Amino acid sequence: METELTLNHFLFVSGLLFAIGLAGVLLRRNLIVIFMCLELMLSAANLSLVAFSRFNTTDGVPNYDGQVLLFFIITVAAAEVAVGLAIIVALFRSRETTDVSDVTSMKG
Amino acid sequence: MSQDYTPVLIQIVIASGFAVATLIASVMLGKRAMRNTVKDSAYECGMNPTGEGQARFSVKFYLVAMLFVLFDIEVVFLYPWAVVFRENVANAPVYFWGMLGFVFVLFIAYLYALKKGALEWKS
Amino acid sequence: MPVYYLEIIVVVLGLVMLMADAFVKLEDKRNIAWFAVLVLSVVFLLLFKVSWPESTEGSPFWKFYDAEKGSRGFSLFFKGIAVLTTIIVLIMSAEFRGVLLKYTAKPEDGAHPQSGLSEFFTLPVFACAGLMWMASANNLASIFVSLEAVTITFYILVAYMRRNVGSLEAGVKYLILGALSTGFLVYGFTWLFGVTGTMDLAGIKEQLALDSVNVTAALFAFALIIVALGFKVGAAPFQNWIPDVYQGAPTPITAFLSVASKAAGFIVLLRISGCFFGSGDLSEKVGAVFVVLAILTLLFGNLAALPQTNFKRLLAYSSIAHAGFLLMALASPITLVADGKEPPLLDTSIGVIAFYLGAYLLMTLLAFLVMTAVRNQQEDDSLEGYAGLAKRSPFLAFSLLVSMASLAGVPLTAGFFGKFFVFKLAIQNGACGWLIAAGVIGAAAGFYYYFKVIASMFWNAPAEGNDGPIPVSMPAKVVMVLLIIAIFAVGIVPNLILGLIK
Repeated sequence: METELTLNHFLFVSGLLFAIGLAGVLLRRNLIVIFMCLELMLSAANLSLVAFSRFNTTDGVPNYDGQVLLFFIITVAAAEVAVGLAIIVALFRSRETTDVSDVTSMKG
Repeated sequence: MSQDYTPVLIQIVIASGFAVATLIASVMLGKRAMRNTVKDSAYECGMNPTGEGQARFSVKFYLVAMLFVLFDIEVVFLYPWAVVFRENVANAPVYFWGMLGFVFVLFIAYLYALKKGALEWKS
Repeated sequence: MPVYYLEIIVVVLGLVMLMADAFVKLEDKRNIAWFAVLVLSVVFLLLFKVSWPESTEGSPFWKFYDAEKGSRGFSLFFKGIAVLTTIIVLIMSAEFRGVLLKYTAKPEDGAHPQSGLSEFFTLPVFACAGLMWMASANNLASIFVSLEAVTITFYILVAYMRRNVGSLEAGVKYLILGALSTGFLVYGFTWLFGVTGTMDLAGIKEQLALDSVNVTAALFAFALIIVALGFKVGAAPFQNWIPDVYQGAPTPITAFLSVASKAAGFIVLLRISGCFFGSGDLSEKVGAVFVVLAILTLLFGNLAALPQTNFKRLLAYSSIAHAGFLLMALASPITLVADGKEPPLLDTSIGVIAFYLGAYLLMTLLAFLVMTAVRNQQEDDSLEGYAGLAKRSPFLAFSLLVSMASLAGVPLTAGFFGKFFVFKLAIQNGACGWLIAAGVIGAAAGFYYYFKVIASMFWNAPAEGNDGPIPVSMPAKVVMVLLIIAIFAVGIVPNLILGLIK
């Protein structure tokens, strides 16, 4: 049986990715895993951007605006990872832990 | 575009439910239940383990890897630019100088990393 | 001079500073900061001299950079806020160098004794360029890039004192929650693009006003974006990062965060919510969301500030409270515009918000300048450390008195007119009673906790060990005197700020 891929299929997968990423951020305790989940959320947005761009055509040409944003998201995510990992490494070197429940010296 | 996205919104609710359920299941059924300190300790022929199980990476490794990722990913902008280069650059040199400026900023960043010794393996 | 040259100058300044640090042998790295202060002051003056293009048709650049006639004054005003804040933050950072050097890496043999200091001066300059660009961003792509340029710079700055547990922890918290809000923002932008088929804010506004628009999906996009921006401006219930991050970050960066980051968040919030306020059906729902957010933020910020004993944390809650007042202005959009005429500035949300942010800048930076000077002498940021400040340094005590009075909204200070205009706008535009009630409760609670600080400064004796005199360097002193004069001047003649917007 052959079914045509529609916009909704892409959006469903993207929604799934976003939800998995969000759930991971909220439930996981390891900073590195949390950071991977955050990247997953950005990937979810990228997927639906491409899908919206592809299915939103004028005269058969996709709307490339969406793909422009996609490029920016990829680069910004890379910068974020570089800075983020540096901070996490610094934390690990000073505290020997990457568990979020250990990051609680401030209260009030 | 006026398609009806409402089913998608419902799907997202289902998706989040799915994600949460999977994660909770993995925590409950995972190996945490079958774990204790004796089991987790390194086995070294009856000797008490000393030091850490894994050797630590040098921080230099992270530094070079991160710099690679950063400089690597910027190429992303060169591809679409190269694609439209031929049709656009002839009537508007701003496309050329714009990209040159972008690469120049990266060059400054490279000089900075070089001078600060971020690319030296031995120190 | 075309207006976008300003951003270019600031970015080039940042690059020059990096190169100067790497290649020029400097005895005192503070010279880099003084150089930046000089150039930024020139940029600030150039703000009054910029020109706009006659026509923006056809050029791809202006698709990303706003040149709309009605908003030119505001984008220049917000650029001015960004530049001014950066100048003062740089002066504060130069003052703060002792504490910074103590908590950054120990220099190895032969390294410069101030190595690691100059980046602390360079990064705010790059953040400033991002903030200035954000003030003119009119496309989802450019909003995203400028917002992230600022946020990622802040990740580094917050975690800068990497041998200090608090700073590192604050950095990690800010990183995770900031990245989370980025995820929401991007996903919201995606859906907004999907619903309207364009990235351009003007185009989005047009599309959302059509009857054929899918309201559910548009509201979904709005909800995602509001979560992200609520985080950036510190609106309840997305505020829980603020106290920890403010407490842990180096003091000049806390000041930068509380003024510049908040102003940036509100510009974006104003622009994006403006798209939704175009159509009747959407604007009603969107307005209701803002009312709820404003009430929660006002109540939470002000009431949670009451029991605080740490001065930095107190200012963090105070910044949440001020976000509440700004949201209150945002939640009271103008309902009727007579015959397409320009409404008076103070009858629009953006006018009131611009005024409030201008006043907020003056008084908050003054408070943080005092805090920097005190922090140089003692480890202690708690309120007890400020007891008897009047005996230790009458000048600092007077500065803090002015700042606190203005934050509380005492008449004759800039803060009074900020709050006054917000309430006036809310009542004029028929805001709901609960919102105004929350505002009144918030303002009253504010009087209590700000005056707690003043009372402790003047009536309590200095604590043991924290009773020496506090020296203030010349540049910081000059800035503080200027800020005090500005607070009183605006408090007596509010038109000073309003004139700048035009």
